[in-house]
Amino acid sequence: MSAATNGATDDGAGNGAIPVSPDAPVQVKAGRHREATLYHALAGAGAGDGRTLAQLREAALKVYEVSELPVWRRSGFWSTSVQDLDLDALETSVQVDGVPAVVTRTLPDRPQAGRIVQSAGAVVQVELDETLARRGVILCSLEQAFEEHAELVCEWFSKRLPIDRHKLEAANAAFWTGGAFLHVPRGVVVEEPFEIVYAIDRAGVAQYGRTLVLGGPASEFCVHEYDLAESFPDGGQALHAGAFEMYLQDGARCRLAQFQDWSPARPGEVFDVSTRFVGVGRDAYCHWLPALLGGHLVRQHLELAVMDKGGDMAFRGVFFAEEHEHLDVFAVDLHETGPSGGDVHWRGAATGESRASFEGLIQIDPGAQQTHTYLQIHSMMLSPKARIDAIPSVLVSADDVSASHGGTVGELDETAIFYMQTRGLDRAAAVRVIVEGFFEPLVAELQDEGLEELVRASVARKLAAAREDIEAYATSR
Amino acid sequence: MADLEIRDLHVRTDEREILRGVDLDINRGEIHALMGPNGSGKSTLANTLLGHPSYEVTEGSIAFKGEDITGAEPHERAKAGLFLAFQYPVSIPGVSVANFLRMAINAKREEPIQVKEFRTQLQHAIELLDVDRAFTSRHLNDGFSGGEKKRAEILQMAMLQPDVAILDETDSGLDIDALRTVAEGVQRLHDEQGLGALIITHYQRILHYVKPQFVHILMDGRIVLEGGVELVERLEREGYDQIRQEFGGEGELAA
Repeated sequence: MSAATNGATDDGAGNGAIPVSPDAPVQVKAGRHREATLYHALAGAGAGDGRTLAQLREAALKVYEVSELPVWRRSGFWSTSVQDLDLDALETSVQVDGVPAVVTRTLPDRPQAGRIVQSAGAVVQVELDETLARRGVILCSLEQAFEEHAELVCEWFSKRLPIDRHKLEAANAAFWTGGAFLHVPRGVVVEEPFEIVYAIDRAGVAQYGRTLVLGGPASEFCVHEYDLAESFPDGGQALHAGAFEMYLQDGARCRLAQFQDWSPARPGEVFDVSTRFVGVGRDAYCHWLPALLGGHLVRQHLELAVMDKGGDMAFRGVFFAEEHEHLDVFAVDLHETGPSGGDVHWRGAATGESRASFEGLIQIDPGAQQTHTYLQIHSMMLSPKARIDAIPSVLVSADDVSASHGGTVGELDETAIFYMQTRGLDRAAAVRVIVEGFFEPLVAELQDEGLEELVRASVARKLAAAREDIEAYATSR
Repeated sequence: MADLEIRDLHVRTDEREILRGVDLDINRGEIHALMGPNGSGKSTLANTLLGHPSYEVTEGSIAFKGEDITGAEPHERAKAGLFLAFQYPVSIPGVSVANFLRMAINAKREEPIQVKEFRTQLQHAIELLDVDRAFTSRHLNDGFSGGEKKRAEILQMAMLQPDVAILDETDSGLDIDALRTVAEGVQRLHDEQGLGALIITHYQRILHYVKPQFVHILMDGRIVLEGGVELVERLEREGYDQIRQEFGGEGELAA
């Protein structure tokens, strides 16, 4: 199967998927169904089929050249359209001046196992604990990894990530520079986190982030990704089109967290269209918690797949959309073999005139018997014009499994506010307690004080910014 | 002038007049019991005193320590030294009892409370209420049993040290052990801190453990009978019906 046809119908990216081969699947009319019913897991869609990096880039470039900016349509809901992005006005490779201030300002001051920072198109900092380096841990730019660890990288690169479902995915695969590569070899246990940072410090940048993480058998480690923007005082657009993949081999355990907040760019607009895949091998475990806290338009396809027997995972996430932000999350809990376990739990809030769509899919493939998984999504709307759609789906092709989903859509509980007021908290403080408490069960699961505080502070800042809005909403009901 | 002065209070909710002219004076160091049958307006009075937005004062006034607080925000009343122990305490997921207490204490202060001082106070309150230390790290009222919720209310009261506390049917739904703990807690706060309390109750049970100096009977939105602890005994003997026959009609008010 050629690269260009792989997964052409994957996620209903209507005009983004261009079948250029006769054996391309029949296209389903976009907009008729919600995403999950059109969906094929990234299984087998990966581009890593023995082609060289140059061949992959070339194949992706062809797709890039013939495809339009994507629109993801939702029946009865709304669309996520990247068509306002002036892609031609952005530069993929720009001069950078060291580590942007936003990185040093934001990252918690704490020991880390290693850190790699990419600003715009270039890696500007790589640090790795020397002891770990001696034990075989590799942390470097992905470009460097292709030169120095070609065998290892080529085995896994794009193994499960497609390169051709839409223009921005193709752009990433064709144009990526810098990138991050982390390899924790067999049996190495690392307590402190590896930090992978993507920063955009000015308008006009197209950042094609590309990350590959390999957890060797029985390794244990944490990865914290940060996606950060400086303020664009004069406005303007920037793009982060990311592709992240992680493969955990037999018995590996990883805690993966992401702190994503592009909102400091305002009045600038950061578009973020990313695909992330985490593959959990035999008896391996992953706890994955993205915190999606801002961006003009954010589209995330997140997939956590149990690829072998005994794999287990906890897929968590928090999101908070504000002002005119648009957030579109498609999260997949995929089970390819059983027995396996899964537990998906997301919480989101929205203020201002923001819109957020969370679509969560449990997919259990034939043969993934004795899989037990659960998906829950809780959301809280804090302003009359904010909107959150939560769409859980379950696709089960095995008969000895348990899979279910649940969720709540909430508004502020006036009784709880009154209760706290009678303890002396003013209304704004009471609202903050409720919303922070709403997120807290997941925030606490980060199990990292510095990161937890960052998320809490971000939530508090958004609530303070929307205070009047929340007040008006509450009194209008 | 009494610390808490309620004058001719008329209150509406959902288009219905619930309180129809209530007068009540409560001072620090006094324990009052307010009794009455279901629907007499007891909880309405409790919620109105703390400024619940669903209750509208149509006539009359509430003054606290000489200030008119009839239209004050709930948190302003709390800061002034009023407290309400809820009949149905609300669960606040994600916030531990200890953290919530710290926030509430700090809301009343200029400077945040020192860690050591907070710990000392908390330890004292924990012993008073006979709760486990682990209790304070649980999320407030989240998954608490009925008895735990009421203990948490009194724990908050002990920590916030109000001048006057309104206890809205704190005794309902408690087994005898929990009831005794809660009641003894209130009594000790009265004895040690000079707490003034308005104990709202449907039953007489709690009044075996807390001794009120003043007893008021509320019926149909008015206080129809007032007296000392002997009123409780009379109620136990005669029930509300007897009193209703005597005072229940329109226009008959307590002295």
